[in-house]
Amino acid sequence: MNKLYLWGIIITAVMLAATYISVSMSEGGLNNDIVNMLAITGAVALVIITVFVVIKYVRQMQVDSATGELTEDNWDGIGEYLNDVPTGWAVTFLLLMVWGMWYMTVGYPVQSYSQIGEYNEDTAAHNAKFAAQYKDITGDRLVEMGESVFLAECKVCHGISADGIDGKAANLNKRIDAIAVKHAIEYGSNNQLLGFMMPMPDRNGLMNANAGYAPITDAEIDTVSAYVANGMTGDGADIFAGTCAMCHGADGTGVESMGPNIKKFDIALVTNVLNYGKKGGIGAMPKFERLNAKQKEAVGAYITSLSE
Amino acid sequence: MENRPLEYDYTVAKMFMLTTIVLGIVGMLVGVILAFQLAYPELNLVLGEGLAEYTNFSRLRPLHTDAVIFGFTLSGVFATWYYVGQRVLKVSMAESKLLMFLGKLHFWLYLVVVAAVVVSLLAGVTTSKEYAEFEWPIDIAVVVVWVIFGISMFGLIGIRREKSLYISVWYYIATFLGIAMLYLFNNMEIPTILGQSAAGESGIGAWYHSVSMYAGTNDALVQWWYGHNAVAFGFTVPIVAMIYYFLPKESGQAIYSYKLSLLSFWGLMFVYLWAGGHHLLYSTVPDWMQTMGSIFSVILILPSWGSAINMLLTMKGEWQQVAASPLIKFMVLGSTFYMFSTLEGPIQAIKSVNAIAHFTDWIVGHVHDGVLGWVGFMIMAALYHMAPRVFKREIYSKSLMAAQFWIQTVGVVLYFTSMWIAGITQGMMWRAHDEFGNLAYSFIDTVTVLHPYYAIRGIGGLLYLVGFLMFAYNIYKTMSARRVEESELQNASPMGA
Amino acid sequence: MFHWLEKHPFFFAVGVFLVISFAGLVEILPNFAQQSRPVIGTAPYSTLELAGRHVYIKNSCNACHSQLVRPFKSETDRYGHYSLSGEYAYDRPFLWGSKRTGPDLMRVGNYRTTDWHENHMKDPAGVVPGSIMPAYRWMFTNTADIDTAFAEQLTVAQFFSVPYNQPVPMKDGSTKVVKMGGSVAEANALALAEAELIAADMKDQDVKDAVANGQIPEIVALIAYMNSLK
Ligand code: HEC
Ligand code: HEC
Ligand code: HEC
Ligand code: HEM
Ligand code: HEM
Ligand SMILES: [Ca+2]
Ligand SMILES: [Ca+2]
Ligand SMILES: [Cu+2]
Repeated sequence: MNKLYLWGIIITAVMLAATYISVSMSEGGLNNDIVNMLAITGAVALVIITVFVVIKYVRQMQVDSATGELTEDNWDGIGEYLNDVPTGWAVTFLLLMVWGMWYMTVGYPVQSYSQIGEYNEDTAAHNAKFAAQYKDITGDRLVEMGESVFLAECKVCHGISADGIDGKAANLNKRIDAIAVKHAIEYGSNNQLLGFMMPMPDRNGLMNANAGYAPITDAEIDTVSAYVANGMTGDGADIFAGTCAMCHGADGTGVESMGPNIKKFDIALVTNVLNYGKKGGIGAMPKFERLNAKQKEAVGAYITSLSE
Repeated sequence: MENRPLEYDYTVAKMFMLTTIVLGIVGMLVGVILAFQLAYPELNLVLGEGLAEYTNFSRLRPLHTDAVIFGFTLSGVFATWYYVGQRVLKVSMAESKLLMFLGKLHFWLYLVVVAAVVVSLLAGVTTSKEYAEFEWPIDIAVVVVWVIFGISMFGLIGIRREKSLYISVWYYIATFLGIAMLYLFNNMEIPTILGQSAAGESGIGAWYHSVSMYAGTNDALVQWWYGHNAVAFGFTVPIVAMIYYFLPKESGQAIYSYKLSLLSFWGLMFVYLWAGGHHLLYSTVPDWMQTMGSIFSVILILPSWGSAINMLLTMKGEWQQVAASPLIKFMVLGSTFYMFSTLEGPIQAIKSVNAIAHFTDWIVGHVHDGVLGWVGFMIMAALYHMAPRVFKREIYSKSLMAAQFWIQTVGVVLYFTSMWIAGITQGMMWRAHDEFGNLAYSFIDTVTVLHPYYAIRGIGGLLYLVGFLMFAYNIYKTMSARRVEESELQNASPMGA
Repeated sequence: MFHWLEKHPFFFAVGVFLVISFAGLVEILPNFAQQSRPVIGTAPYSTLELAGRHVYIKNSCNACHSQLVRPFKSETDRYGHYSLSGEYAYDRPFLWGSKRTGPDLMRVGNYRTTDWHENHMKDPAGVVPGSIMPAYRWMFTNTADIDTAFAEQLTVAQFFSVPYNQPVPMKDGSTKVVKMGGSVAEANALALAEAELIAADMKDQDVKDAVANGQIPEIVALIAYMNSLK
């Protein structure tokens, strides 16, 4: 066998091995996705075809010799042979043109394909498959699923460890930070955290029953904020009981249709945040329309699990 | 047939050779900086925080593309035209004062436009359209330069002695016409100083700002009809013109087949323009246009390969020349890369493959196996062939040239292999869903995996740049050496050791 | 015939021209006839948003970011609904881009917020570890060019009948009027009013001060534009 073909085979083998290694090492992986497979096949075919076609012509450089009849023309010393068009080339060209015509008129008539139609089918199939698969997941699996959503969607703001990246977003490892509580008390809160419009009044509307229904003072705000942020421990229990418990419950876990749970995360709260977004002392949290109900539930379970 | 030896006048060719080299260095240097900025983002601050506005990736990227396309490549096209044109038409520029004047005017105006482009891109004055970033005042200047080029080209053709046009001239003519048509239509824009407020104020805002005549999907269609064919008439057609002259000339071989030249030329002209839809696959342009773009892209393989095969067959039986001459190696490998990228393009144009390839580095890989392996190699080979003839001196160093060839070849291979892996990896990660049917990766995961490939690409690009500097040095030493060649040379370029 | 053409450059050129213009006629014209009309819910850009769009273009954000959501499950999951032609009716130029070094931004207004952009544009890697996006700190001090944005509004209203100061239908059945100033001063006042809303959600004190003094830093315009992408 000629050395060149040997080289061709070596290149091909190296290419195949490299492809195999990089695909099996790559994070995405083939994933049984026809698009991925076609792309890889295309890349491999490209190298192999080019290498062998070029080898064919290089062989002719090595062993053949230029012959044929020259035309009369000559430009700056450059002549032209009257050689015929290489048959393989001509035939392929013709076939491809025929294929093109066929494709446009018969194979895939130009108006009959719709990429949106294809999308709708793919999406329906995907959704059906996963709806069936995750219909019943609960407990740890639900949390796992939630983590997967969190890592794809939420970590750009809340950070990979959900710590809020130095106060740029809420730290989700605990229910709430003192500055967020303080902000809610001073300015009120109006984020549909209960799933419907039920604003919390600002500091002028918050009266401390223990102090004769006087509006809450700066010192009291600081104390109760620290108390809530510490998970309802430390000083300030009395202020809380006198001012907040009416709406948030004595233990801070919320009162139906009155105030949300501010002691612990729960799925309902997270779902409401995802449905309506949230604007507070730290910044603004967007709503997430593109997540489905199960994904919201899952990420709620995940976030709840972080502070447990 | 004329017997009197003609003295060709290479003044204008020499001027454009100079800009080819200088703008090549600038463009590729910026390319290398870009490549390393993606691997090491701190390099966005190479000249310090204060100048970051002008040195960050996004400000520099259009400078790279425009410097290599409209600087390096076009200069190369002009330089070779002012060399090849005279020779295959058998007339000297010196024979017409007017043509000589137009040629020089062409060069100097071109230089003015280049300066304006560099300043405006650094200042952030751009319309955002890829490869058509310039605002209307520059557009007008571009059109003027192009018209002068056209007059000077057709002027030379008009006074030719060689009745029939050589293949290269076909391609140069097509370059002129194609770019003229595309550029005009894609740059239809309305200067906003024309706007008048209800209060009667006019001339409001920046005088150079304009707004595109087309909106949204229509704008995209026109832009990629242009963008695709800017590739065709900038990176393909005039480069084919070059190889059709320089390969047979350097090797002393006759063109393998006139018929193949003919079919490839007209095939290319007809098919190329239809394929632009492959830049808009899965976009909001109608499905049928996308399908046509894909189909014609696949058909386009054949007229493209036709020219390349014709060139390879021209070297039939001449392996010893390929082995001995680095200059011929550049052209033979150039044809190979041309075949490679014109097969790669159609594969990427298949809708299902484009679903993964589009928007990724695989496209960047495709771009650079074409531009580095084909456009760059061919232009350097052309200049190497021209240098001894226009400067009347032997090429300074053959071994430097051979070393350059291998360094750059390694550079290209590193560039495109790393971008293939990067592109396909990223494409697959974007598409991946996990066991729960959720997206498997957040976007940033698909960015950080690319780091090693970006670094390798940077090294590949650096090798290519080093090779280009070796080329520049070799030409510089050739220019400034003692004059040796007395008369016109036939065929193989004389090379120093 | 070809041999004859090769001896007659003029006709050769005409031949080439006919062959290359054919495809454009067949492929491009039909779509122009059926022009892309705005879909319901698509409104023209306000002065400040347009100024932000100019900041986006000036810095070639489109070199890394696309604005085209393709109809794949993996893209609609990541970015939201696939793009519709009519959504681009007021995009001159279109900004689809051709490279996604960074994520698509077609609907980024849906899932990123003013304060996030503020942090991110100042120091991308500080918010998203591993980000390779450059920091755009000069945008916090450069002043946005409201006049040019206004000139563009006037131009598109005059030449392309873009509906400023007219009700445009919204998805919820309501209508929305995007105002365009009657004079340069009025346009600047409108933009400033919008800028104040954005600055209120920002933290950077210099930016807040600038807006309070009637100046609009580029970052404010850019964020207005980002927030408008939905
Ligand atoms: C009148 C009822 C009422 C009282 C009294 C009240 N809250 Fe609230 N609180 C609410 C409601 C309703 C919400 C949810 C508002 C929303 O949808 O944004 C809320 C929200 C909050 C939040 C925001 C939760 C989050 O996730 O951001 C905090 C913190 C909070 N309350 C703390 C307190 C504290 C501390 C007190 C006492 C000083 C208090 N609230 C008193 C009704 C009340
Ligand atoms: C664009 C940035 C951003 C993204 C993306 C984001 N968040 Fe947030 N999120 C915030 C900010 C900022 C806050 C704090 C709002 C405040 O209270 O000031 C927040 C608050 C929250 C809260 C409320 C905490 C509380 O005290 O009530 C929850 C729950 C939450 N995020 C969950 C998520 C989940 C789950 C995701 C992903 C599906 C997510 N976030 C994505 C920015 C973001
Ligand atoms: C060098 C490439 C590059 C350039 C130039 C660039 N970006 Fe980015 N951009 C990225 C990358 C990578 C990410 C993803 C990582 C991150 O969020 O920082 C990103 C993310 C973003 C995001 C977040 C989108 C999301 O869905 O999380 C926004 C918004 C953004 N960029 C806006 C801009 C704007 C505006 C400009 C121009 C002024 C710009 N970018 C220039 C690379 C770039
Ligand atoms: C048969 C010939 C070719 C076909 C069918 C083809 C096809 C393609 C396709 C499908 C894309 C990707 C579009 C996308 O998804 O973004 C592309 C991009 C590109 N190709 Fe080719 N290609 C061909 C030859 C070449 C050659 C020879 C060169 C250069 C020497 C070249 C330069 C480019 C460039 C610069 C781009 C990038 C355009 C952008 O900015 O997005 N192509 N080509
Ligand atoms: C020294 C060698 C070079 C290096 C390191 C280099 C590097 C780069 C980089 C990093 C990009 C941006 C890719 C991205 O956005 O992800 C780019 C784009 C591009 N380069 Fe180069 N480049 C080099 C030489 C050239 C040459 C010689 C040409 C043309 C003759 C060229 C033409 C282009 C084009 C057309 C694009 C745009 C591609 C697209 O938009 O898809 N480059 N290059
Ligand atoms: Ca222009
Ligand atoms: Ca591009
Ligand atoms: Cu193309």
